[in-house]
Parts: sequence; structure tokens; C-alpha cells
Amino acid sequence: MFNGFYGVLYRELNVFRKKAKKQLMAASLSPLLFLIVFGLSLGRDVTVNGIPYITFLIPGLITMASLNQSYSIAQEINISRFYFHVFDEYLIAPVSCIQIVLGEVMYGMFKGLIATVLIFVYALIFHVTLTLTPLFFVSILIHTFLFSSLAVAIAMLIRDHGDQSTVNTFVITPMVFLCGTFFPVEKLPPFFTSIIYMLPLTYSTKVIRASLTGSQVDNLYLLIMFMFAVCFFFLATWAVRKVEA
Amino acid sequence: MRTILKVENLVKHFDKKVAVDGINFNIEEGDFIGLLGPNGAGKTTTIKMLTGLIRPDKGKIYYYENIFSRHTPALKKLMGVVPQQSNLDRDLTAHENLYLHAILHGIPKRWRDAKIDEALEFAGLADYKKTQVKTFSGGMQRRLVIVRALLHEPKILFLDEPTVGLDPQIRHSIWELIIKTNRIKKTAILLTTHYIEEAEKLCQKVTIIDKGKIIATGLPDLLKKDIGCYVLEIFQEDQIEERFFKTKEESLEWIKRSSYPCKVREITLEDVFMKLTGRRINV
Repeated sequence: MFNGFYGVLYRELNVFRKKAKKQLMAASLSPLLFLIVFGLSLGRDVTVNGIPYITFLIPGLITMASLNQSYSIAQEINISRFYFHVFDEYLIAPVSCIQIVLGEVMYGMFKGLIATVLIFVYALIFHVTLTLTPLFFVSILIHTFLFSSLAVAIAMLIRDHGDQSTVNTFVITPMVFLCGTFFPVEKLPPFFTSIIYMLPLTYSTKVIRASLTGSQVDNLYLLIMFMFAVCFFFLATWAVRKVEA
Repeated sequence: MRTILKVENLVKHFDKKVAVDGINFNIEEGDFIGLLGPNGAGKTTTIKMLTGLIRPDKGKIYYYENIFSRHTPALKKLMGVVPQQSNLDRDLTAHENLYLHAILHGIPKRWRDAKIDEALEFAGLADYKKTQVKTFSGGMQRRLVIVRALLHEPKILFLDEPTVGLDPQIRHSIWELIIKTNRIKKTAILLTTHYIEEAEKLCQKVTIIDKGKIIATGLPDLLKKDIGCYVLEIFQEDQIEERFFKTKEESLEWIKRSSYPCKVREITLEDVFMKLTGRRINV
């Protein structure tokens, strides 16, 4: 009944297993660099909203690293679509599009959650105290679901490998830097503030940071995250239905 | 014999260019049909429409009288597909590639390993079960793709240029595997090719396609007999003229009267294509 879902997940997890060492190193390096540069050097004696900068930064890095890893499946699907044509095997199989999307999204969430665990390890190493609440687990699951769904949708909508780089350059990278990963979004000039409130990462960062630092979580933001996740999931399913080999 | 596949007036455009232009044909159970035509004739586009990888602009496809669309899983179970380019997962082993196919096609878990072993044996790849596909030669990959497509016991197998790019010895081993599939497993086959020898050697019936249109269809021998049994090639100063004869004697008679060097040979499907289109197939 869920052959498509199991099949996609079987393939992705087996490929991941074979490249696990490389994947884990890639997932852990860039957050570590950001932590060293911003957390331990530039922001050493700085406080933000009454908390040490490194405590402010770690939830941002969790959001960023899990986004990067969840979204990285777009690149993998892209390669399997345009270069090795492995994705055609899913399209030919007697399975529904929603199962293909669910399988890919689940794999994206798996990668995002591994990145999350890695940042927690850094938090332990650098003695950063965070509070783990049920809300954090809910929000990180929605966050990774949201960006995995976006990855599948983008991977289906682009026409070649070059388009993928364009989306990364003009959407993903600016979002990562502007949506509150490294500083409170309220510090941005008003023009940028109105733009970044249209982007889902802003809400993810706020909710995940609040849930980890014990601040008040705005339920509206959680609802907006959820709405983005639902929209991107349906966009991805529609895109897989439309895609041609 | 029941009709597995019925194609009615299938049309596909890419931008303004017609790739497939109103083709019609039927495939019965156990048939072995060759879709023969030059590169760009519309063969791969036809296979992609028949397997749901692209949408036709017009026309209807029926499997066992049920209308087929890209999102009809039940009908997709009837088909096995061997694409022109290998789409095996290079990072997975031969067993894992087949296991993935088994999951996707709903083969019950208790049967999967036995069926995979049987398939690898059929392909002569039993010793490479746990080997990553990236280390396989082109011929081994082709054999694996073919048995993968057969794993769920499809009623019809689509082979898109299965031996393109392979050396002659490996090509013959792939032919043997394909013939075994049709004769032993009784799977109907639609094979596209631009190799004359392949179409003549393997297919019971040949459909010739050019510029998206079917221009001839029938048994290879009958198609050839329609235009003659022997070809006389006349080597003139600026061109090679070809004349067709029913008997060898008639052609030899003609040679006696010719002032140019000549050569007699048996007719091939390439001559049929040449006669119908004025062009060679492998240009």
C-alpha cells in the first residue's frame, strides 16, 4: 500500500549509509565555522535580548543547518533526475506521486534532524544551556518537513542543474543570512523586515529559538510555519504529477 | 491471443516540432515487435508516452482495453521498461537495485529474495549480487536493467535501443537474453532500434517509423518481398543506383547489359526504408 514511500526511503537511506561519513562531515563543518567565527570570536562578550550571544546563536545554527541538510535533497533529486535518471524508475513504477513526495520528504527530515543532533553536540561541547521542550520537537519537525517539501518542489520545477544554483543563490542563501539566524530580525532596516516576514525561515527561527531559550512562543508563528509546510507539500505533489522525463 | 496494447492516433509535439505524428498499432500477447527508424524518428518519444513518462498531446493508449494515463498504477504493473540510458543506481549493489524495484512494484517481501536470485541467475550475474553497479561494464548493466524490468513479471516489455553503444560480442549476449525473455517467459516485447540486423534477427514483426509517422508494418520477410528479393547496386560515376529484382537470375541478366560495375546482394530492411523514404536509416 505504501510501496512508493518505502521504496524511495529504502533507496535514499541506502545511498546515505554508503556516504554517511562524507555526509556527516559536510553537515558538521559549516555550522562549526559559524560557531567559531560568530559565537566564540566576534560575539564572545555580546548579549542579545538579555542572553549571551552564543546561546542566541546556537538555535539559529540549528535552524540553518537543518534547513541546509533538508533542502540539500533538492540537489540529490536533481542529479538523479537529470544525470543518472534514477528518478525515472519512481515515475514508471505503479505508485502514487504523493508517496514519492512523502518518501523524499521523510529522507530530507532525517537529514535535517541529523544536523540538529550535531549542533546539540556542539552546544554540549561549548557548555551552552538550552531547554528542550515538546514545542521544540514539534517545531523542528515542521521546519524540516517544510524545507524538505520545498526542496522536492524546486527539484521538480527546475529545468536543469543551472536553475538549481540560481534558486540557491537568490533565495536560499539570502534567506539563511537575513531571517534571524545570526541576529534579531528587528535590527534590520524596515524595508528588509517587510520582505523577510514573507519568508518561512523567519518564523522557524523565531519559534525554534524561543522554544530552546525558554522565551514566549507566538502560536501564530507556529501556525504560519504549518501553513507554509502544507502549501509546499501540495506544491511538491503537484510538481511531481506534472514532471516529465 | 488478447490485445495487450492498443495505440490510437498518438501525437506529441516538442515546441512546434512534431515528434510523433498520429501513430496507430496493436500488440498482442507474446508478440515481438520492432520499431525501426533512424535517430530522431520518434521511437523514444513513443516509448515514453506508452510508459507514462511524458504526456501525449493527442491520442489514446489502451492496455487490455483500459485507457492508460500517467497516473494509473494498476496498468503500470503490466509493463517493464528498459530505457535507452541505464537508470540503475550506481551507488547500490545489483541486489539492492532489484530490491528497490521489488518494493516499488509491490512484490511481497517473502518472495523478493528468491525472485532476485532467480533474476540474477537468468542474467548470468549471480556472482555479482553484492557488487556496486558503478563497477559493472556496459553489458552487465544492460543485462541487469533487463532482468530488473522483468522482476515483477510484466505482460509487456519495452526495450528502448537496448544494445546501443555495446560491442558486437556483448550485443549478441543481450540478444540471447531478450530472445529467452520472449520465448521462455512469453513476455510481449516492443523493441526500438536503428540497427537493421537487430530488427531482422529478433523481431517477428517490424514497424518502420520515420519523422514521427509509421510508414510500413509487417513481417520482415514480407516487407522485403514487397520490393523484391535481390538488390543490384550499380556503381555509377557520381552515385550508386539500386535496382530491385524478384530473382537472382533477373539481376544477373541486367548486369550483362550494364556498362558500370555492379554487385548483387540479398535485400535488407534498410533497402525497404531506402525505397520508402529515399534515405538510408543509419545516416
